[in-house]
Amino acid sequence: MASTISAGRYVGQAVKRLEDPRLLSGHGRYVDDVQLPGMLHVAFVRSNVARGTIVSIDTSAALALPGVRAIYTGADLNPRVGMFWHTMMGPPPELGGQTPYAPLTPLAGGDVRFVGDPIVLIIAENRYIAEDAADLVEVEIDVQQAIVGWETAIDTDQRVHPGTTTNVGQEFPLPEGPEVDALFAGAPHVFTRRFSQCRATNVPMEPRGIIVHYDQYVGDLQIWAATQSVSEWKATSSRLTGVPEHRVKVVANDVGGGFGQKMMMTRDEAAVVMAAHLFGEAPIKWTEDRRESLMAANQGREEIIDVTFAVTDEGVLLGAKVFFWEDIGAYPASAGSTAGMAGAVFPGPYKFPVVLPGGSSVYTNTVGKAAYRGPWMMETVAREQMMDHIAYELGIDPIEIRRRNVIHADDLPYTTCTTMVYESVTPSETLEQALEMLDVAAFRTMQADARAEGRLLGLGVAIYIEPSAVAFGILSSDQAIMRMDNSGKVIVAMSTGNHGQSLETTIPQIVAEHLGCNIEDVLLVQGNTESSPTGPGTGGSRSAVVAGGAAMTAALKMKDKIVQIAAHMLEASPDDMEVTAGVVSVKGTPAKALPFAMIAPIAYQMPEMLPPGMEMGLEVTARFQPAGQYTWSNATHVCTVEIDPETGMTKILRYIVSEDCGRMVNPMVVEGQIAGGVVQGIGGVLFENMIYDEDGNPLATTFLDYLIPTAPEVPDIEVGHIVTLAPGQTGFKGMGEGGAIAAPPCLANAIHDALRHLGVHPTAFPLGPSQLLTMMNEAKQA
Amino acid sequence: MKPSSFNYHAPTRVEEATALLAEHGDGAKVLAGGQSLVPMLSLRLASFEHLVDLNKVEGLSAIERVNGHLRVGAIVRQAVAEHSADVAASVPLLSKALPHIGHFQIRNRGTVGGSIAHADPASELPAVALALDATIEAAGPGGTRKIAAADFFVSTWQTALADDEILSAVEFPVWGPGSGFAVEELTRRHGDFALAGAVVGVQVSGDTVTKATIGLFGVGPTPLRASAAEAALLSGADAAEAGKVAASHISPVDDIHASGAYRTQVTAVIVRRAIEAALKEARS
Repeated sequence: MASTISAGRYVGQAVKRLEDPRLLSGHGRYVDDVQLPGMLHVAFVRSNVARGTIVSIDTSAALALPGVRAIYTGADLNPRVGMFWHTMMGPPPELGGQTPYAPLTPLAGGDVRFVGDPIVLIIAENRYIAEDAADLVEVEIDVQQAIVGWETAIDTDQRVHPGTTTNVGQEFPLPEGPEVDALFAGAPHVFTRRFSQCRATNVPMEPRGIIVHYDQYVGDLQIWAATQSVSEWKATSSRLTGVPEHRVKVVANDVGGGFGQKMMMTRDEAAVVMAAHLFGEAPIKWTEDRRESLMAANQGREEIIDVTFAVTDEGVLLGAKVFFWEDIGAYPASAGSTAGMAGAVFPGPYKFPVVLPGGSSVYTNTVGKAAYRGPWMMETVAREQMMDHIAYELGIDPIEIRRRNVIHADDLPYTTCTTMVYESVTPSETLEQALEMLDVAAFRTMQADARAEGRLLGLGVAIYIEPSAVAFGILSSDQAIMRMDNSGKVIVAMSTGNHGQSLETTIPQIVAEHLGCNIEDVLLVQGNTESSPTGPGTGGSRSAVVAGGAAMTAALKMKDKIVQIAAHMLEASPDDMEVTAGVVSVKGTPAKALPFAMIAPIAYQMPEMLPPGMEMGLEVTARFQPAGQYTWSNATHVCTVEIDPETGMTKILRYIVSEDCGRMVNPMVVEGQIAGGVVQGIGGVLFENMIYDEDGNPLATTFLDYLIPTAPEVPDIEVGHIVTLAPGQTGFKGMGEGGAIAAPPCLANAIHDALRHLGVHPTAFPLGPSQLLTMMNEAKQA
Repeated sequence: MKPSSFNYHAPTRVEEATALLAEHGDGAKVLAGGQSLVPMLSLRLASFEHLVDLNKVEGLSAIERVNGHLRVGAIVRQAVAEHSADVAASVPLLSKALPHIGHFQIRNRGTVGGSIAHADPASELPAVALALDATIEAAGPGGTRKIAAADFFVSTWQTALADDEILSAVEFPVWGPGSGFAVEELTRRHGDFALAGAVVGVQVSGDTVTKATIGLFGVGPTPLRASAAEAALLSGADAAEAGKVAASHISPVDDIHASGAYRTQVTAVIVRRAIEAALKEARS
């Protein structure tokens, strides 16, 4: 099908975003913008200690406050829960599934397990009163020593979840055996490092938010939510409340970012659903404020990775052992380790003969772990830093060691040692393109000149292969429900969500391209379970691949029917028709033509004019399932930095990305996704650190302390493109997470390059000024 | 993040404002630009029964030359002072410090007087006031009094103002020819509070430094004067030596952004850089 792929009238063009006039002028409609008659407001009383037993809860003073309508504790809501699990993850073992879950309850039960744990839910006439009431609730807690840090959690006999036998959520043991020992014993060089990255949080611009109205007379549960997946919210709400799923309606209008945090319903949101179901009288709204978002919304990234590489004298990889430790907090979205995924993709762009992965996820008395843009990305963080550490150990240039191990075009199709199959990837090509964009020789000269003056410049490289559009369970497919209305305009309904992926523009681009109409005649309806099909929503770099595939397939089906009708009316063969800009015409005879606006009324109103036997109407559906379990995209990041030797401050000089996401729907959107991910990656190395003290108190609960990069800290991000088509029909590859995956090791490697001649070899994030200056001081003393 | 309820007062005369403060004691708080107070109220880190808004009070928004000083009214917006030719000509150090405060949106609302009265030890303007030996004018029910900046900053967020006083103006001395000024600060990001900061003023006669002032911020419970480093500079020490002397007299604490040891080490660096820049300007 590759012959059908080329830059078209819309696909491949940098079409300006159709949603921007609304969003940029401040007229987006987020959860907090939804105002309903009689709507009431929710505030939570949250734990201010990380671990302890609840002795008493006194709500009497709060209930007496005028304007307070209801107050619920765990004793009110938790016993009413039917089931609390996520469609995407599948049911827990006790219900016949395989997914380990933390013991999820909407509100804290007899004890609290992290600072921010919701204990009491207040419903009041406005948020001010609700917060006043929260101040009046008295909760007495018998405080216990918090379990903070994965090593503590493994060593202690205390349990984050009382009554359980271990603080380990899930464990994949590292393969052992004489063959493994022999491999490493016989290798010319074996190097071991421990890399770690600090905890980060997703920081959506719009925090969590949900409005729930249970109309007890009709029997409908109506929800407006800031979610990445309305299908997930619908099913979860049904399981929670027992309201039959077809009576649950979920709407997500504009959503201000998710980055994984809004894929699955969390406890706070579940508490609002349960409270609304119990309350029954009026819609209730919870808008998470920024302090709650930083203190209580699920977080990501706190990972420690032990890596052992065996290599030849020339730096050729012989094998690797890697063990992933994850601090998953108290109530992660799932207690499962992402080590399975991280291990499977660990070989990345290199020809490893063998990779042996293991991992362990560990509960602590901190906020639970969420998916965060590239949830498995610790493999790239470790692998790409390790390549530089080995290169320096062996006296080989870090670029050269990559060239000796990277997969080339003539290796394809390539099956990795972990059985991943690459048919269409370009790690070598992106590496060379990125290096050419930089001009490595010129930089090395500049670096040497600067070093002679005592200035510290460094160059970092990172390559990765992104497992986009992961296809398992509900994530395996998506559907497009396409209707052409009586006037010839097209509405396509999908399960996707609008939290920054530009689908309102890119899906119409795909439809207009393949149906042959104008883009302004196509409308995407998403984030609404009443009109959209059941599907995975938007996340995991899937929408271009899966939703795009469904939209393209539906458009081709629609086009086929329109062409048949037109051909019948024009007394021509369907094979002789062409479709352009919403007009079907006979090839070579432009006068013999019919616009969609004439064909559509015929399909709906004049059965006698349709080809014999054709069903009336213009409605098609198409469900698309990608060819493989992963659709691989890839990129190489290169950056240069200057570090102030006296202060440890890092300035990024240039940041370059060469990427291959296959056929691009909209290059501007691709570059925007890359830039956003890179900025998050920069944040994870230089600025962002969601740190806890030894008692489990979060120390970065405002933007004064949780530092996300702002415009002056971010360099121009230069992007180069290499286009090879994904296997299968569409040629699209997902690329939403890659920027955030490769940027951290790329930046860390640049810092390493700037400092290594001083004896500084960083392995742990953050690499802020204080950390770098301390390492420089220590190296000087050593 | 909703504040608890409070009574809002918007007096138009200084006497009215101070009378309200006298009436409500420590249950009242003065509101100027609101860039520090309002977030604290919204986070419920502070709550007051009464807010006395100075924004409508007459006579607090002038910038004028008075007796060899530049008098800046309490509610002069930081952005106004930043772009004032009078400020740039008379008190260049203030002009140079202002752009370091937060972001321009914050400076559009934030006031010069509010920043000094808030007395955040990591803020620029308290250090400028201290370094320049500014005089703080305090208005109370009994009239006004003048407080030397050296006596004004008591501890973190604590000043010599009484509960019933407002800061009505700040008078900055105007330095003569041959002067140079510089601000150096280290922040994690553009607009953040300083990990360590220095403001420096020098006056030279030929190769001799005849006057020197060094204010430090972000490295103690109040803005600090690096008096020993000033003395060293006047005795002929070079910038690097003076920087080391300044660092040897401070003992900043750790926080999640930097250790105390880091702040001490980089204070020597930024003081040196600020002195070098100020000397360069003075000699140009």
